[in-house]
Amino acid sequence: MKQTPSQTAGPFLHIGMMPDPARGVRPLSPVMPADPVTLYGTLFDGEDAPMGDALIEMWQIGGIWARTATDDQGRWRLSAAKPGAVPFVSLWIIARGINTGLHTRLYFPDADWASDAAMARVPAARRSTLVASDTGDGAYRLDIRVGGAGETVFFDV
Amino acid sequence: MNPPDWTRHPPALTPGYFSSITRSPREGLIPLDPALADCTGPVFGAGDIGPMDSDLIRNAAQPGAMALGPRIIVHGRVLDEAGRGVSGALLELWQANAGGRYRHARDGYLAPLDPNFSGCGRVLTDADGGYRVETVMPGAYPFPNGPNAWRPAHIHFSVFGLAFAQRLVTQMYFEGDPMIRHCPIVATLPSAAAVEALTARYDPDHDRPMDARAFRFDIVLRGRRATPMAL
Ligand SMILES: [Fe+2]
Repeated sequence: MKQTPSQTAGPFLHIGMMPDPARGVRPLSPVMPADPVTLYGTLFDGEDAPMGDALIEMWQIGGIWARTATDDQGRWRLSAAKPGAVPFVSLWIIARGINTGLHTRLYFPDADWASDAAMARVPAARRSTLVASDTGDGAYRLDIRVGGAGETVFFDV
Repeated sequence: MNPPDWTRHPPALTPGYFSSITRSPREGLIPLDPALADCTGPVFGAGDIGPMDSDLIRNAAQPGAMALGPRIIVHGRVLDEAGRGVSGALLELWQANAGGRYRHARDGYLAPLDPNFSGCGRVLTDADGGYRVETVMPGAYPFPNGPNAWRPAHIHFSVFGLAFAQRLVTQMYFEGDPMIRHCPIVATLPSAAAVEALTARYDPDHDRPMDARAFRFDIVLRGRRATPMAL
């Protein structure tokens, strides 16, 4: 059988994926690590405009899962487990205008990302688009660019 | 995990759907070796679902009230590419009301809200991959994409299979809707067969007579690159 095609999530994905519990359906609970660090950043489109209507999901070894909608300035924030043997978290981005969800990764700067097998497939000049910066107090920042200069690397997972 | 089938999914840049122009990577995706594929993902269960989640006619209604609009049942199976049912898949769905209006702060369409409808539903597949929800037929609505663009009646679906790499967001259309062939978002699909795959069939055998019409929509997720033994 052939795969069901993707379609954009559109601008109103919050209704189904970040529901208001006062309207009957309770939001899915994230699976939180015991000792979380914060991942955050801004999501930009190909003309450097913040994407204020997107949703980002995170998946990390150990069963850590969470999602967040970007705010009206394109900002996002998620909780992850501290970097361990696996130096990255997987991210998946959907929004109006994104026809098929985009898979990318956030690598922790203080983990051994340089010897990661997937990173080895990324042209050296583009690797920095995947490596967060440690901004102190257990927080890591990564801006994500869906296009334009410094376009983030996306994977055909 | 089998790779995404790009004969089925829309490409990133589809200029006829204006929003894709500034929201499409141009560098091309970096392929990952199948050996690097992650076959794990979040698991959801009955505890994540409320008793009314699959009944959109009543889950946001006042006590004793129901949503306005043609009553429908949407049902089908979630399968992998080998045709095996995917049990425990979580479906999240959302839609406009019968007038084509979303209950969302950013939807300014002039059709009125329905005080008894939020347009949010959720369901887990059973042991055979089957699912069923009850709702009202969503209305068509206009959207900014040139002088006159309309969405056909549709229900948005988000699907969690067994692996994070299977994450899928899509839209279900309705058999016979003349708006399908005019829609710039439908037109992002790479083939007529892909459009067909997103078009639910009227399924009178599953109607509830004198109550609701049934539509059938099956969802096929990427399968494991494995022998049948491996699952
Ligand atoms: Fe929609």
